[in-house]
Order: sequence, then C-alpha cells, then structure tokens
Amino acid sequence: MAPQGGVVVAAIALPFLGAALVPLLYRLFGRVGGRLDEEGVGYVGAGVALTSFALVVSQVGEAGVVSFSWIPSLDVALRLQVDGLAVLFALLASGIGVCIFTYAARYMHGKDNLGRFFGTLLAFMGSILGVAFAADLVVLFVFWELTSVCSFVLIGYYTDDDESRYSARMAMLVTVGGGLCLLVAVAMLAIGAEAAFGARTFDLAAMLAEPEAMRAALETKGLFLPAMGLLVVAAAAKSAQVPLHFWLPRAMVAPTPVSAFLHSATMVKVGVYVLGRTRPLFVGEEWTLLVATLGLVTMAVGALLAVLATDIKELLAYSTASHLGLMVAGFGLGSHYGAEAGAFHLFNHALFKAALFLVAGIVAHEVGTRDIDELGGLWRDLPVTALITGVTALSMAGIPPFGGFYSKEILFEATWEAAAHDGGATWLFPALAVFASIFTVVYSLRFLWLFVGDRPEGTTVAHRPSPLLVAPAALLAVLVAVTSVVPDLAIDAVVNDAAAATAVHDVEIHAALPTHVTPPVAMSAVAVGGGVAAFRVVEDVRTAIGRVHAGLHAVHPEAVYDRLLSVTETASASLGPLVHNGLVRTYVSWALIASSALALAGYASATVAIPSLSTEVPVTIVLVLGVAVLAAIATTRAEAHVTGVLTLGILGFMVAIFYILASGPDLALTQLIVETLVLLIFLLVIEQMPAFYGELDRRIAARDAVVSLFVGATATVTVLVAAPSADRPLSDTARYYVDSAVPEGGGANVVNVILTDFRALDTLGESIVIAVAALSVLVLLAMRGRGEVR
Amino acid sequence: MTALLALAPLVVALVASVLTLAVRSWPRFQRAVSVVSALVYVVSVGALAWTVVFAPDASALVYQVGGWKAPFGITLVADALAAFMLAVSAVVVLFTVVFSVPYIDPENQQVYYHPLFHFLVAGMTGAFLTGDLFNLFVWFEVMLMTSYVFVAFYGGARHTAAAVRYVVLNIVGGALMLLAIGGLYATVGTLNMADMAARLGAPGVDAAPVVGLTALLLAAFALKAGLVPFQFWVPSAYRAAPLPIAAVFAGASKKVGVYAIIRLYFTVLGDANVTTEVPLVGVDSPLAFLAPVLLVMGLVSIVVGGVGAVSRKRLDGLLAYSSIGQIGFIVVPIAIAAGTSSASLRHLGVLAGLVYALHHALAKSLLFLAAGTIRDAAGTTRLAELSGLGERSQVFSVTVLVGSLSLVGIPPLAGFFGKFLVFTTAADQFATARVAGSSIVLGVLLLGAVLTIIYATRVWVGSFWGAQSDRVELATLDGLQVAILVGLAAVVVAVGLGFEPVYQFADAAAEAAIDTEGYVTAVGPGGEP
Repeated sequence: MAPQGGVVVAAIALPFLGAALVPLLYRLFGRVGGRLDEEGVGYVGAGVALTSFALVVSQVGEAGVVSFSWIPSLDVALRLQVDGLAVLFALLASGIGVCIFTYAARYMHGKDNLGRFFGTLLAFMGSILGVAFAADLVVLFVFWELTSVCSFVLIGYYTDDDESRYSARMAMLVTVGGGLCLLVAVAMLAIGAEAAFGARTFDLAAMLAEPEAMRAALETKGLFLPAMGLLVVAAAAKSAQVPLHFWLPRAMVAPTPVSAFLHSATMVKVGVYVLGRTRPLFVGEEWTLLVATLGLVTMAVGALLAVLATDIKELLAYSTASHLGLMVAGFGLGSHYGAEAGAFHLFNHALFKAALFLVAGIVAHEVGTRDIDELGGLWRDLPVTALITGVTALSMAGIPPFGGFYSKEILFEATWEAAAHDGGATWLFPALAVFASIFTVVYSLRFLWLFVGDRPEGTTVAHRPSPLLVAPAALLAVLVAVTSVVPDLAIDAVVNDAAAATAVHDVEIHAALPTHVTPPVAMSAVAVGGGVAAFRVVEDVRTAIGRVHAGLHAVHPEAVYDRLLSVTETASASLGPLVHNGLVRTYVSWALIASSALALAGYASATVAIPSLSTEVPVTIVLVLGVAVLAAIATTRAEAHVTGVLTLGILGFMVAIFYILASGPDLALTQLIVETLVLLIFLLVIEQMPAFYGELDRRIAARDAVVSLFVGATATVTVLVAAPSADRPLSDTARYYVDSAVPEGGGANVVNVILTDFRALDTLGESIVIAVAALSVLVLLAMRGRGEVR
Repeated sequence: MTALLALAPLVVALVASVLTLAVRSWPRFQRAVSVVSALVYVVSVGALAWTVVFAPDASALVYQVGGWKAPFGITLVADALAAFMLAVSAVVVLFTVVFSVPYIDPENQQVYYHPLFHFLVAGMTGAFLTGDLFNLFVWFEVMLMTSYVFVAFYGGARHTAAAVRYVVLNIVGGALMLLAIGGLYATVGTLNMADMAARLGAPGVDAAPVVGLTALLLAAFALKAGLVPFQFWVPSAYRAAPLPIAAVFAGASKKVGVYAIIRLYFTVLGDANVTTEVPLVGVDSPLAFLAPVLLVMGLVSIVVGGVGAVSRKRLDGLLAYSSIGQIGFIVVPIAIAAGTSSASLRHLGVLAGLVYALHHALAKSLLFLAAGTIRDAAGTTRLAELSGLGERSQVFSVTVLVGSLSLVGIPPLAGFFGKFLVFTTAADQFATARVAGSSIVLGVLLLGAVLTIIYATRVWVGSFWGAQSDRVELATLDGLQVAILVGLAAVVVAVGLGFEPVYQFADAAAEAAIDTEGYVTAVGPGGEP
C-alpha cells in the first residue's frame, strides 16, 4: 500500500511546529506558575513525540515515495520515502523521544532556558525524522545539517561553562565539516544521475531504484571513488568513527537526556543510516575495504577506550563509538549478513544505550558523582535501576540470550563469511570483531558492577529517584527484554524490512540461541569467555591499555585537533600584520607588479607582436620628452619638498607642450591649468609639512626603481601595441563625431560637443565626482576633532 | 516608454542625493526623505526586474542616453544580469539606509551622510546599467570618491590612514583602467560594449592586444572586488568606515567588481575571435586567460581571507577578512566557467557565482549591521570584551545566528544554496576535466568552508555564550536596530526556503551574462544614427 504523504509530512513537521511554540508556551506556563511552568513544556514535547510516533506507526509495512514540489528548476523536491529502514529509524527516534522528553521534564527541573532547550530538542527530533524519510539528496542534507546545528546548541546548553563551549564548537567543526564532504558527494551523485538518467536530479529513490546504472555512470565520470570516499568521511564524522570519534565523548558535557537521545540513540546513527541507505549504490570490493575496516577498527578502539574510561558517561560514549563501528562494519560487508547485522544492531543498540544513559543520569542525579571508582553496590539503594542495568548492560555485552547477542552473532557470521570467501588479510575482520567484543564484555561488566558488590566508603545515595526518571528507562529495558526473549517480534515488524532496504541480496534475519557449534558461535564463546576472564584482572588490563594510550599521545585525534586549531590561530594572528603592514608603498608595489604581470601575460597568451618604433619622430618631440624624463629623474632625487614639486611641475609642463606638438590644444590647455593649480596647492601645503624626508634605505630604493621600470615598461608596451598605425583612417565613431558635430550638436569644437552632447552622461558623472570631492572637503572639516562617534 | 525604466534606478538615486542635500537643514525630514528614496529605489529596481526577467514578454531594456544611437552615444542596458545585481544591491541599500537612521549619530548624519550615501548608490547603479566602457570608469570614479569620504568619515588618525591607503590604491587602479580603456578604444575603435563584442566577434578581426589590455581592466576590477593580491585596502577601510557603510561595501559595492569581470569577459569577450593560448585551458577565447588567473586569485583569497579571519580581535575586522575569502568563493566558480568548453558548466559556474554573491550580500551586510548594533550597545566590537550577548537578547542573537549559519552554508538558508552551487560547479569540473587541479580546487573550497566554520563558531561561542561581560551587562540594545536586523534575517531565510524564483532570476542573469549575441542584438550598435 502506498504511504500517506500527509501523515509523513505531519510526523516531520509537528516537532518543528512544537519547536517554534515551546518557547512561547514556556513563558505562558511561567505566568501560570506551579509545577507546570518547570515541567510542562517537557511533557508537551513528550506529547509531540508520541504523536509523531503514532503517525509513523500508522505507516509501518507500507512502502513508496511521496513528493512535494520545492525547487523544480533544480529537480529538488521534498521527496519522502517510506520503507522498512526509514520506518525503523523514525520509530526509534520518535519512540525513544517520548522516553527522553518524559525523563528530561523531571531531570531538567529547575534549570534555565528550558524553552530553548526543549524547543531545540524537538527541532532535533524533527530533523532526524526528516533524515529518516528523505528520498531527495538535498532534503537529506538539509535535515542532516539541522541535526548538527541542534546538537551544537544542545551540547553548549551550559553556555557559561568553558568545557561545554569548547565541546560544542568541536562537535560543530567535526560534524559540519564532515557535512561539507557530504555536500560534495551529493553534487557528485547528481552529476552521476545526469549521466545515468539524462537529467540532473537529486532523487535518491530513483538512484536507488537503478543502482547498476548509477554505478556505471559514476564510474565513467570518474566520480565513483571520490563520491564514496566523501560520503564515508561525512558518515564517519557524524557517527564518530576513528579518527573522527573524539568529539563524541566530549559531547557528554551536555545534559544527560541530550546524551541519551542525540549521542547514543539518534544523531550519531545518522551517519550509519546514510551508509546503509546508500549501500546498494556502492557496495563492492572498495566499499568493503574502506567501510568494514573503518567500522571494525572503530569497534576495537572504542571498546578499548571504554575500558579505560573513568567516568560512566565517558564509558558509555566510547562504547557508543564502538557499537557504531559494529554497525558500520556490518553495512561495510557485502553479504546479506552485513546488512542484517547493521540494521538489527541499529535497533538493539538504540534501545539498550538510551536506557543505559538514562541510568547514568539517575546515578549522577542521586549519588552526585559519575566517577566509576567512587561507585559500587548501588543495588541496595536503586534496585529497579539495577535490574534495568542488568538487562541492558548484558545486551550491550552481547551475552546470550540478550538482544545484543543476536545482532553481534550475525556480524560474526558476516566477518567469517567474508574472510572465508576472500581469504588473506580479510581474516583480520573476524579477528578484530572478536578482539573488540572481548573488551565490550569487559566494559559492560564494569558498568554493571556499579550496582554489584559493596558501596565504596564516602559514597551516599541522596534519595530514591523519582518514578518519572525510572519509568522511561524501565520501558526501554522491557523492550530489550522482549527482544531478547522473542526477537522475531521486532524482526518481523520492521527490522527485516529495514535490512532488506540496505541490501542487494535477499535478507532473512534468523535470531535464535545456538544449538550446535558454528564458527560464529565459537567466536561468541571466545568473546564472552575472554571478556569474563579479562574482567577478573580488569585493573591490569586497564593499566596496559593506559600505557599504550599514553604512548600514542602525539597522535590522539583530539590533540591533533587542538594543534591544528592553534596553528590556524597563530597563522591568522601573524598573517594580519605580515600581509597588511600598513605601508602604502608595499601595497602599491604588489598591486602594480601584479597588474603589469597580468598585462604582459595577456599579451603573451595572444602572441601580440610589438610594432617596431617609427624612426620619424620629430626632433622637437624628442627634446620635449627628454626634458620630461630628466625632470622625472630629478624629482626622485630632490632634497627638499619645494625642489621636488618644482621639478614635477617641469615634467607636467613638458607633457603639455607635447600635447601642443601632437595637435591637442584642448588637452594642453587643461594640462596647463591642472599643473598650475597643483603647483600652487602643493606650495601652499608644503608650508605645513616637515622639511625632512627621512633616510632612504638603498635597498628599498633599488627595489622601487626596479618596480618602476617594470611598470613603466609595461605601460610603454601597452601603448605600443595599442597605438594605431599612422595610416589607419579615423574610426567609425570618430568619423561620426567629426561629421555630426555641427549639424547634430551645433558646435564646431568636436571635443566640446562630445563632452556636452554625445557623451553628456560621462560629464554628468564627472561633475558628480567634483561635487562629491567638494562634499568630502566639507565632511573632513566638519568631522575633524569630533572624535570617533557612531 | 518602458525603456525609460532602465534609467529609473539611476535617476532615483541621483534625485535622492540632490533632495537629501537640499533638505539638509531639517534633519528629521532629511532622514525621512532618505528612507523614502531608498524605498522608491527598491520599487524601481523591482519594476525593472519584473519587466526584464519575470514578465510574460520579458526582455532586456535599452536606453540610448540623449537619443544618440549606439555606439555613438552612451547606452544604458538593463538586462537580466544588470537587474540581478541591482536587486541584490537594492536589498542591501534599503536595509543599510534604514539602519543608519537609528545607528549613526544624528549630528553626523547631518554631515552629508545621506547625500553621499545616495551618490554611492548612484555610482553602483550606473556601473551596473551602463553599456559603455568609459562610462563604467566614470561610475567607478563616483563610487571611489564617495567611498573615500566614508572611509575617512570619522576623521580620526586611523580613519585618515585607511582612507589614504584606499585612495592611493584606487587611484592606481583608476589609472590602469584608463590606460586599458584608451588602449581598447585605439585597438577596437569603440567604447560601446555591445559594439565591441560585435566587432571582436567578427571573422578575421585583428585585435590580439585586447587580451593584455583587458587583463589591466581585470586588475582594476579585482581591486574593486578586493581579490588577492589587490585586497590590501580591505581590512582597514572596512574597519574605518561607519558600519552600515561597511555593510554596503561588503554587500554591494564589492560586487560591482565581480559584475564588471563577468560582463567584460563573458558578455563582451566571450565570443571574441582573438586566439588566446594558455596551457592546460581548453578554450581559445580571451576567457582562457581569465580562467587560470581568476582561479588562482579566488583560491588564494579564500585561504588568506579565511585564515586571516580566525584570530581577529574585533568583530568588524573578522568580517572584513571574511569578505576577502567569500569573494574568493564567488569568483572560483566564475573562473571554472571561463575555463570550460561545456556550455552547461559555463552557465552553471556563472550562476553559482551570482547566487553566492547574493547570499554574501545578504549575510555579510546582516553581520556588519549586527556588529553595528553591538558597538552601539556595548561600545566596542572587541571580541575579548564581549561575552554572553545571547542572554542579553534572544531575538538579536537569533538574527546573528541566522547570518553566521548562512555564512557557514547551513540549509535551508540562502548561504546553503550559494555553497551548494559552488561545490556542484567544482564537482562538475572535476568530473568533466579529470585533471589533478580539479581536486585541488575542491580541496581548497572545502578548506575555506571549514575555516568559515572555525571563525563563525568562534564569534558565537565566545561572544554570545558565556557569562555576560561588563560591557554586555551594561548594554542596551536598540529595539529599532534589532527589528531591522530581524527583517534582514527573514530575507536570508526566505531566499533559502523560497529559492525557486531566486534561482530563476539568477538563471536568467547567468544566461544574459554569457549570451553575447543577445546582448549585441538588444543594443543594436551600428544602426543608422
């Protein structure tokens, strides 16, 4: 059945509408007073999320594309595709959204700026829903970037806190910078679509419908690998893949509901989601090599760092990176198992990780610390929370029969299959997967041990958490439990369809406890057994990891980030004074050298021949211009201002005489008047100037002389190449002016008629210039000494 | 009669200058006249744009000044390209004039601020509309002269020094321009741009010096646009000028340089029969010369402007450097358009440059005006003394956020489409040319975009978040100024959300820019006078 466009649009638009209204409601509730003002907007958010969730549920099982016109000229439209993957992602975002808003309403009680907070959180949820359903690359990008911006605002929620600002900026730089790569990839895909379908389009659904044609087109255009690479970089930045993972743990400065929602269950999944979505276009040898390796390395590095973590949120953050790596690796492997692992783990991870973050929030809220060493034995005080943690942490660890086990088992299957098929270095895939899983077990148990054993001295639990904080986590834990017991429920509802949307083969997810030993089962056994064994000596393991980690400090991505940023800042600080040193002489030199070089390059590129100099130059002209040159040289050597001005005057008068000799009496007259005026004004002003020019550095003088000669030579060449030969007749325009001056313009002086009639607009313009010059004198006089004011 | 419409914006600006000069003794009345004039200017540009681009029987308007037929008199040509540039400027002009009223000290406004402002507008308008090369020079002079006054306006040592640099460099530019125009007239025998295009397009024309001569013009235009290595005047001049004027400089008058490059190279020289051989460039018209030169200038501008902006101490200084980089983003696609033999890529490149120019005009003038509001309220634009502005006024900070995000290229704001089209052009070039250089271009564009994020977030995180600094705590933001900013921010959002008509406008402008034949036909030079 076809999806209902209105319903999908409503599901996406409602959160945005809510985002616009919530700040207003917050003020309104504030007037009403009581509990409503503090928590009311949170519940409004939960209501919006629930409505969106219900709308998405109504579309389960449907498939198709609906489209609304946006920019027809570019073939960009609000195309929304409903299929298994879209519905899965949308259900997770809105469903977990309900839990998060409910939790946050209580958790954020009494904090500032809740209008902005919940508004942004809603806008964020709407953006995720937009990403989920987008079937147009531009629309996808729009929502993708909006998630980054919302995340920036939410990470920086505690705006007074330095670390919070630092982390928010880091997240923005990494994810939006990565987004730029996506933008280029989008452009490349559209260019590929032009080659494939004959018209440039951003219709992702159409591209996915013809993956073979798209692939061929991209390859002929030479865009296949660049587009793939850029897309993977963008996804890696968004989904915290090594080495762009470092912003994610930093993002934990955000309030816990934000961490739970954005940085575990949703935003970071956007990259994974897009990899899954575009997988059919790219899947192949290069794809596997790039994406699967990236994912598995991240899975391992994330798990190791999670073991090393000292803060519960930090542990969960690295664990998130690790699990994202698992999904990326799944989508990176070409077999149907890969697609299944990616999609199924997307589902499992969202549930258990959101719950675990909420648990971390409860612990921080009630105990007042997030330091793992200070926490332990909490089951006595927080029994329900302990139970929730038990279910979800074991799912995270991938211990049978909990949900996470099934999806991880499929990944093992996928890596094993890839290695068995391709052999060679691909055996590293299963090895890395098992290696990472061992440490996954270790950190999961570490988290679980917060609740087991005895409470360290000095740690006290303030009070029992509000049921409103526990209920959302409990709900998620129940879902994890249900998936653990009857995994087929979720698989049949959406997960299988979701995996199918990312696959090029038939997909049939099997999730059941193993009945006989297969390679993946053995891998699981090694992972769990190894993990439990390692956990017994966890402190030694941590010391070992810590030693390696410290040894690699020079290449820690965060250190690299800091270094790059500070290098840029230093470069910037020195670039200003270096390039713009305030010396007009330098500026003019550069401008003139560049212009002259451009002109000469221009002549060279069109192979202009420089005409030979005519030998028939009258002696008088040679004489006059010779004097002018001498005057010019004398000007540069003048000791005092007055001599300088006077010799400059000689130069000017010689030019005027040249005009007379070249039959331009009008010009000569103008030149003489200008020269006289300039001379007079100079002499008047010189009175006010210091008599001393200052010492002239010989090297600078030599440099200036070279520049002057170069510029003069260029001007000379310009005049030579442009000068018409002596025997050329008047141009049509000149002929027209001469012929029409008297009959049409009524004046015998052609120059005057040109100025006042044929080209009167020029004269008007120049008159304006003179008027403005007069005004400028008045302005300078009026503003003198007024001091800088607005 | 409709041809007179081509003259309308110019006449409106000139009349506004004279009127505001005449009623100078009544300050309130003068301000009212100035604002109303700006509104009338916008209406006249709107009517022009409608007639030239959107009306059912739209076509370019040509007005022969004084009734002298082209090429003997001066021709004003309002085609889609001119209309687009006018429309971009009109928006900036309207918002900056209105903003000046509450911002500039009333006494200072009386010191010829408004007449000079409209003279500046007249200079830009004339430059966009003229179809004559020498007349273009004249309007450049008008702009230069008024800009000079504005840079020196406050009369302090810093302002005077900036003005001297500005004026000296621009006089050099003017001299180069004059030399080039003289040479072109001597070589081609005409100053009318359509006539020039027609003559150069004729078979067997002998005009090889044209490439070098127009290279001199390119230098003069690049100086106007503030491209490296002609950007030296930019940082100090932008910081010295009153901030609304800096908004006009960055938003509108710099774009005159870009416009002139497009007009000269694509419209006038695009079909020229002058063989130009440049290594690695696959076309043989004078555009082959433009392509590598403009590309390098654009890319270096992106890096210099972007890196330079990161650590500036003051918001206005940061924005000035940012302008250098953003102009780079405008000209890179234009350079790609010049260097390609593919008609669709050429069209796309010019289009991308124009859309980016529009976006930059809106976003940068918004940010410069916002810097004005900050300075007005807190008494400084020093970023170190500003912190916690966000809490001071949420509405104001949203407008700045919109401007910054648009600059970064976040959708669905205007800046997104600018960046998107520029990247598409570069990717298209990458796919078409398959040379290593194309990936360098893409790489530098990406680097420039990342630098934009770095400095935009620095301002936001440093000045809008955090605890309120003393200056900010004592600040009171002017409600009217903020309201004006909200209006401009709304335009930034509206251009993005309703991009289709904007795209059509830019599309028509790009088409007009590369359609030499259409331009020549519209002007009709060489007809019987």
